Amino acid sequence: MLAEKYADKIAKIRSKYPDLRSTVMPLLYIAQEEYGGLDESSLREVAELCDLDPTEVKTIAGFYTMYWENDEKGYKKGKYWLQVCTDLPCALRGADQFFEQLLDHLGVEDGGTTEDGMFTVEHVMCLAACDKAPMLQCNFHFLENLDMEKMKAKIEEWRAEAKERENG
Amino acid sequence: MPDKVEFVTIFIDGEAYQVPKGANLVDVAKFYADNDIPVFCYHPKMSPVGMCRMCLVELGNSVDRQTNDIKYNADGKPEVMWFPKLQTACTTTVTHGMAVRTDTPKVTDARDDVIEFILTSHPLDCPICDKGGECPLQNLTMRHGAGVSRFDFDNKLHLDKHVPLGELIYLDRERCIQCARCTRFCDEVVGDPVLGFHERGRSLQIVTLSDPPFDTYFSGNTTDICPVGALTTADFRFGARPWELNEVPSLDPYGPEGANISLSTRLDRDSGGVTIIKRVMPRQNEYVNEIWISDKTRFGHHHSRAENRLSKPMVRREDGTLETVSWNEALNTIAEVLKKSAGSVGAVAGPMVSNEDLWELRQLVELTGGSKLGIWPATMTGAEAVAQVGVGTGTNFKDMGKGTTIVVVASDLEEEAPIWFLRTKQARDRGAKLMLLTARPTKLDKYAACILRHHHGETLNAVNNLIGAVLSSDGFTFEESRAEGFDTVKKAKYKGDEAGYDEAAKMITGAENVVVLVGHEGLTLAQHGDVMQSAANLLILTGHVGKPNNGLIPVWPGANTQGALDLGFSAEATADALSQSVVIVAGADPVGTDPAAKAFIASADFVIALSMFDTATTAIAKVILPRQSVPERDGTFTNGERRVQRFYTAQGLIGDTRPDWKVFSQLSNLIDPAVKVRLSAAAVMAEITKNVPRYAEMSYKNLARMEKQFPDVGGDDLYYGGTAYGNHGGLGVQWPVDAEAAGKKLTLKAVKSEKTAKRKGLVAVPVRRLYDRSPEFSASQMMHQRIPSAYAQLSRKDAEKLKVVEGDDITLVFGDGKVRVTAKVDGSTPEGVVLVPVNLTDNPVPTAPMAVEVEK
Amino acid sequence: MSIFKGLGTVVKHLLEDPVTISYPEVERPVRERFKGKHALKRYDNGLEKCIGCALCAAACPADAIWVEAAENTDEERYSPGERYAKTYEINMLRCIFCGYCEDACPTEAIVLEHEYRLSFTDRRDSIYTKEMLIDAPPDGVPETPQKVEPGAFDRAIPDMENPK
Repeated sequence: MLAEKYADKIAKIRSKYPDLRSTVMPLLYIAQEEYGGLDESSLREVAELCDLDPTEVKTIAGFYTMYWENDEKGYKKGKYWLQVCTDLPCALRGADQFFEQLLDHLGVEDGGTTEDGMFTVEHVMCLAACDKAPMLQCNFHFLENLDMEKMKAKIEEWRAEAKERENG
Repeated sequence: MPDKVEFVTIFIDGEAYQVPKGANLVDVAKFYADNDIPVFCYHPKMSPVGMCRMCLVELGNSVDRQTNDIKYNADGKPEVMWFPKLQTACTTTVTHGMAVRTDTPKVTDARDDVIEFILTSHPLDCPICDKGGECPLQNLTMRHGAGVSRFDFDNKLHLDKHVPLGELIYLDRERCIQCARCTRFCDEVVGDPVLGFHERGRSLQIVTLSDPPFDTYFSGNTTDICPVGALTTADFRFGARPWELNEVPSLDPYGPEGANISLSTRLDRDSGGVTIIKRVMPRQNEYVNEIWISDKTRFGHHHSRAENRLSKPMVRREDGTLETVSWNEALNTIAEVLKKSAGSVGAVAGPMVSNEDLWELRQLVELTGGSKLGIWPATMTGAEAVAQVGVGTGTNFKDMGKGTTIVVVASDLEEEAPIWFLRTKQARDRGAKLMLLTARPTKLDKYAACILRHHHGETLNAVNNLIGAVLSSDGFTFEESRAEGFDTVKKAKYKGDEAGYDEAAKMITGAENVVVLVGHEGLTLAQHGDVMQSAANLLILTGHVGKPNNGLIPVWPGANTQGALDLGFSAEATADALSQSVVIVAGADPVGTDPAAKAFIASADFVIALSMFDTATTAIAKVILPRQSVPERDGTFTNGERRVQRFYTAQGLIGDTRPDWKVFSQLSNLIDPAVKVRLSAAAVMAEITKNVPRYAEMSYKNLARMEKQFPDVGGDDLYYGGTAYGNHGGLGVQWPVDAEAAGKKLTLKAVKSEKTAKRKGLVAVPVRRLYDRSPEFSASQMMHQRIPSAYAQLSRKDAEKLKVVEGDDITLVFGDGKVRVTAKVDGSTPEGVVLVPVNLTDNPVPTAPMAVEVEK
Repeated sequence: MSIFKGLGTVVKHLLEDPVTISYPEVERPVRERFKGKHALKRYDNGLEKCIGCALCAAACPADAIWVEAAENTDEERYSPGERYAKTYEINMLRCIFCGYCEDACPTEAIVLEHEYRLSFTDRRDSIYTKEMLIDAPPDGVPETPQKVEPGAFDRAIPDMENPK
């Protein structure tokens, strides 16, 4: 349960906003991180924390692309959620080829998750870092001025990191 | 309408019109200029959003900025500065000198294009769509649609077609044009945000995640305002095509609000070729229900065709067996008994008995020398208080807003009178203040500006203390010429210093209008009478009587309780009436709904039951006469605001039934041949108008009178107000109360506060739920999942003491009655109280609060 | 002289084939576009074309058609899509064989065919029910209702050609 596990975090968020309703978006992030995506039960949990109808929470989760809804996609989000911008300015700097190569490298389709559940790759609209293209956003952190060499190294790094966490 | 409306001049297609300043352009164009600006997302009952872009018009301004006058050119036409681009009319409010063009090629081209875009992904379902024939999109496509689409047919988006949003409403995802009327209705009008938009752009779809899905008492209304066939009811699914239906004006038979409905009828092969109700639609009456009805009203009509309807008169023979007999035999049997009764005749009438029936019943009882006329359920009283200070004629919740205080006393308005709940909530949204004098939290709590919580049964003290606080508030003056008995109030010495009451008093004395809605939760009949009187005192003292939007509204238990009181029936007489030797029970089931009634009726030798269904009362009756349901006959009901309204014959007869007034009239004639048999309900009403002064104006002709209403719905342009029906059955007439008569002195009768006894043990408090198991409602199969199972609600503390947890089966023991229910434990229930919903259990539960023991 | 002329005509006609035919042993073929008794058509898979939309009843100038609709399920499917005609009746005494129903039908389910022998001895027999109107399913295809794969027939109106 989020309420117990993240009591401090939730209290901090609540102190920032005038009413419970306003806390819905940060709480959705917490739920998404905790459960690897949002599903009906996590939406209901957040609804209860924000004193909203679950329907309202669902509409918010559906409106924004930063939320991953397992029910809608049909599968869970990977641990590393790679969102590659392929809009025109990025594409001019080779982001579309980069994206294709990344998909090939990980062996997934656009929007798909790797079989080991590690990576989800999808293309997105502008992330406001055109000057540093090709770039991507991984779990809301930017990786900029990428090429495939750098990317491969990064992927290995993440894999090792995950393994370490599993063992430790 | 507010008193002072400033009118401004605007020009629509070159013609000048005087219209109220600040009104919405779409409304104004329709109401004043008869110019239908096409809309999809705009609805006159909701705030505009400008989502569909269908209402594009050319806007301009003809006002000279220096002088603020309209500039005219040489030939008397206004000189207009047109905006370069088109504007949405629905998000425009009219201002002085505004000019609008709605029929230029630029405008029609834009609208044609909007339609073309909407149709790019609308399925070609019209032949099988329930909306086909009364579909705004269909109508506007006929007007604006291109003959040929420039888009590829294969590009149409194919989505789920038959998505149940709960078991009452179906969603067709393909058909949705994303106007957001349904989501806004739930959010804005009802306050249950249980429908929402998910995703964006072309993948946008309607979702619900509430439990049960689409959890609101008003879900059916979304199908009326949906401008396409995306939302349809399960009830009417493929029932008929709209053009085949015959609309008959009728009334909601359940609630005290008197919601106006239109019954869509058609011949039906399965029902043996008789005319039946295919669906129930709202009928516009801006004074009563605007264009909304609850789901109970909409889907409850199946009881009128239930298979277990009684269809023939029956007489109980010596050996106890029932025998089907002819009407002649049944009536003769009754007449013989009544002749010999020597005046020991009582009558009890239920909540669905029309004014005409009640009048003839009274004539019959009086003819035999009897005088005991009771109502059922006998839980509420206060005819006198209503006659003095009931809400003023012309009262309309729609006009309540800033400056109005609405006080709800001892009632869970959402469950007991959903339309009043809706309208109260909306009045509050417009700025009215809501004050609650209730014993437990209800859905209204979140809208209330002031909640005066008290224990169940102590409502009288709460009202009295409020009077005390009003008397001691600054600047309180009372015009003694208005009413007599002010000294009794002063002598009563009400407490005026309870915490929170001075604030509440200010909300009442400072308000322009005050309406008090009084229910009976937690009150005995006598207590309820006192509360009504005390509430009346409060209104008289503060002068909130005798004018529109001021006064008392009782939340009666039934559709025609007010009518019964007006015609001489009363709850106080019920016990007496039931204990006469001959008892006539019309449209009620006292034995099956109250354990106390059994004891009273036990002394009766001969019970005559008029009923639609087999009940515990018909089980002890000597003669059973089949009643007609409301749609099968005509008559009138009087609602809680004292508005007498007509309903008309809609459905073919089921079985060999007669209207009650006819039965009583024929019986009177059998007893005394000098009494003429009335030939129609209208003739009975004519008789009432002659004999009951308050009903002098209530001839059928007057009740059927109409006036133009705003907004103008129900015309051919279905896109404006949805498929709500225009009113062709009349708006009804309210009878004026004493307070409205100039110079008539009112009477203040102070009611002494009760000593609050130390509370011992648990008290069972009956509560009303909207969806219950009464045979008049539970015959609708589709509603079964929504009707709660028999339960009793306990506070956490009491549950702990009794070692009961949520979901346990418990037995409630009161007196010699017993019921088995499921325990519900929650924080909202006050301590020491067991909330027991009526009409949910197999065995009757008490209809007034009484001591109860809980056994596991 | 003229008598021989008359006899000549008689002899000529004696030798000609008769104009009349011996009905009902022999039947004269009707014209291609003759409008006779209605038939409710089926698709090749045996499903009924009629979707119970009642547009034929709406178009009927003589008010001869009565339709009541009900809902299909994949367990019991009568026609493609959600809706089928539960009751379909034509009162042949009222029908004026104008063919408007045929024109109104969005699925080409109702067709006025060449059967013209409509006679009855009781007025009530003039009402032709759905069973009397509907064509038999093609050989080797089951009667309706059929049990079908879920989701196979979710569209009532057949795919239309893009009107060029």
